[in-house]
Amino acid sequence: MKLRIKITKDAGIRFISHLEYVRTIERAIRRAKLPVAYSEGFNPHMKFSLASALGVGVTSEAEFVEIELAEEIDLPSTMIKLAVNLPTGIRILAADLADTKADKLMAQAGGADYKVVVPCREDCNWQAAVDRFNEAESVLFQKPIPKGRGMTKEIEVKSFIDHLEAERAGDNLQLTFSCKITPTGSMKAAELLLVLRDSFELPLLVEKADILRTDLYAVDKDGKKMPLLKPEYIA
Amino acid sequence: MTKQFPIDILSQVQKPARYTGGEFGSIIKTAEDTKVSIVLAFPDVYEVGMSYLGFKILYHILNKEEGVAAERVYAPWVDMEAKMRENALPLTSQETGKTLRDFDFVGFTLQYELSYTNILNMLDLGQIPLFSKERTDEDPFVIAGGPCVYNPEPLADFVDFFIIGEGEEIIVELMDAYKQWQSEGLPGGRSEFLQRVVRIDGIYVPSFYDVEYLPDGKVAKVKANNPMAPAVVKKRVVKDMNTISFPTAPIVPFGEIVHDRIMLEVFRGCTRGCRFCHAGMVYRPVRERKPELLKQLARELVDNTGYNEISLVSLSTADYSCLAPLIHDLITELKEEKVSISLPSLRVDSFSVDLAKEVQAVRKSGLTFAPEAGSQRMRNVINKGVTEEDLMNAVGAAFESGWSTVKLYFMIGLPGETDEDILAIAELAKAVQYKYFQVTGHRGAKVTVSVSSFVPKPYTPFQWKGQDTIEEIRRKQMLLKDALKVKNITYQYHDSVTSVIEGVFARGDRRLGKALYLAWQRGAKFDGWSEHFSYSRWLEAISDCGLDKAFYANRDRDIDEIFPWEHIQPAVSRAFLWNEYQKSLREELTEDCRHGKCSGCGVCPNLDVKIIDWKEQGHDEAKN
Ligand code: SF4
Repeated sequence: MKLRIKITKDAGIRFISHLEYVRTIERAIRRAKLPVAYSEGFNPHMKFSLASALGVGVTSEAEFVEIELAEEIDLPSTMIKLAVNLPTGIRILAADLADTKADKLMAQAGGADYKVVVPCREDCNWQAAVDRFNEAESVLFQKPIPKGRGMTKEIEVKSFIDHLEAERAGDNLQLTFSCKITPTGSMKAAELLLVLRDSFELPLLVEKADILRTDLYAVDKDGKKMPLLKPEYIA
Repeated sequence: MTKQFPIDILSQVQKPARYTGGEFGSIIKTAEDTKVSIVLAFPDVYEVGMSYLGFKILYHILNKEEGVAAERVYAPWVDMEAKMRENALPLTSQETGKTLRDFDFVGFTLQYELSYTNILNMLDLGQIPLFSKERTDEDPFVIAGGPCVYNPEPLADFVDFFIIGEGEEIIVELMDAYKQWQSEGLPGGRSEFLQRVVRIDGIYVPSFYDVEYLPDGKVAKVKANNPMAPAVVKKRVVKDMNTISFPTAPIVPFGEIVHDRIMLEVFRGCTRGCRFCHAGMVYRPVRERKPELLKQLARELVDNTGYNEISLVSLSTADYSCLAPLIHDLITELKEEKVSISLPSLRVDSFSVDLAKEVQAVRKSGLTFAPEAGSQRMRNVINKGVTEEDLMNAVGAAFESGWSTVKLYFMIGLPGETDEDILAIAELAKAVQYKYFQVTGHRGAKVTVSVSSFVPKPYTPFQWKGQDTIEEIRRKQMLLKDALKVKNITYQYHDSVTSVIEGVFARGDRRLGKALYLAWQRGAKFDGWSEHFSYSRWLEAISDCGLDKAFYANRDRDIDEIFPWEHIQPAVSRAFLWNEYQKSLREELTEDCRHGKCSGCGVCPNLDVKIIDWKEQGHDEAKN
């Protein structure tokens, strides 16, 4: 049996790293005494994983944990036990049980939705910039290679993010968009902001951007969004 | 709920999670539940401060009290400090984001002398006047405790009062005194509160004492200028570790901290009597927790934290009288839950190696031993009751069990040390290497020799002894370096300039407060981090105040010299310390009073306490 849970990373803990987030969930699972399966060997580790890594500073309403169980559980009572053992800043939204052999969520995730609120100078023509982005055939970005010591790799932004919605809210611009996740990679929301600032002359204060991942989902062959969990337990 | 730093600041500093709180187990009380607020302030970075057991204990004890809210704050790393100053943001607590100035108490721990500049820096960032005399009724009381309070004098100008000794009981008495004063409407302002707290045993109010100096700079006398102030402030001590509360639901941090595991304190104190060891003298006597209690605490800690490692901590855990059965029981109980047990240090004997084997069944990383000195003569001088044979037995047992990497700790600059004693360190390291060949028939054991330089501390037998000059230490380091140019022996040491300043402050007096202030003004902070330490800045600050580093660090003291710290007492008698000093000159040993006879240090009668050793005293629990 696999237990799959949809959780949050709230604003208060947005600056903990992916590794710290993983470790925090692992400890919560131990505190809640979930009957988790462990790997064999000298240094047994808990069999659990996250569907995708979130950048430091990004908040999320759609993180997915997948835990291999050693015993059957009762879903509602287990979720209550886990909830009290999570720090404030991580909330449980939904959960389901799946067969151990079901595809890993990590492999299923096909896209993520984002909402970004970012300060943007009043006197700019933001609509025109957004239109230009939406109409462009191709937008290239030099993506830094992780641990690549400043080396970059050219990626096609439009193959990940095809379309943006924008509206002004006071001093801020609010952007919403979907970003594809492919087996070979994806693109970070923060990177899109750099593209807009540097290639589309949008005067965004990217350091102050408040980035929220609103959803993570599978995509079927027609390009339709499919939820990752069955609606078995909703908190 | 928590006020946080802005996103753009947090996203531009290293390890931003240091500053955002929200950890599991942190306690946030509402304003209605908060009558007295105290922030426990650790003068170093988050990862270091979060690893400090003393604050875990106090956080728990304070927050258990009704109406008391205890929060935490750490020194912001230099990148964060720059951002804070640039944006005029004050230093705030982890829990509620309250500025330090708005607390009733700011409580620092004094773990090492080189953190003192961080204290000034944190007060400044917290918008609190640095000097006690400049604080008004609007400001918090700045208090301090921890091992360095046995000579708090260099901080006398900055700290309103010190808590001497173990904090569990006195901190509650202090909170009660504040609540009482508050319920009366804070009559008389700050000075009245100081008059009240000075009546609590173990509280030292430095402004209630005047120090007079002789023309040669030594202390003439220390005299109370307030009728309520006791002539001598004795340390507080918990008589029985089994009756005080220990935190079983500590905060579990998100990020990796220095000691990222459960810390279970098995006993307090150490009576081995190593003559260089400050902790061994000031934390007397030995008081053990019952094995049954420890097992129960371990169970709760595992349940509440989710950690998978328990470190059994104390000044020398291998001396816990029921250690083998305790470890056995813990391993048996917790194996299924994949919880491992670890020991922070090993004794130099094969018993310790057997334990290490049991607890680290898998991890064959290196073992560490601390013979402290290379020659038997020198080990007798420092009363380290370890022989070369003990060490050979220990490493032999380790090599037989499959270890091939050993780390050895030594000190140089010990009293009466000769070049032969230094070279004996190299000989010992080579003998360890040869032992590997004897045991395994192979060459190639890796031996690391790690050498620190000795700093004489107050309330040790060597408080009368001058510290080696930096030139002498460097010469000895080079001597040893040459002698250790051997394959597979690694020699670790670092330039000892920090130990000079540590030595100055360890045995310093109030006049050094000026130098501390000056050094801080000129940018000193994080002096314990070599990349931030500037020796020349310190030397200038000290001499600009008309003081002399050699007077504090390198001078031998006479039998009758009055020390600046003697009105604060860990209750180890001066006669005992002098006698130990004389015995060290004769290379005579003193036995451990835990098993042998009382060596007359004075602690037990002075404080009306006694040694608690479960096995020696034939307690039932020990017999299983
Ligand atoms: S008074 Fe005696 S028994 Fe007590 S700690 Fe000192 S030497 Fe040991």
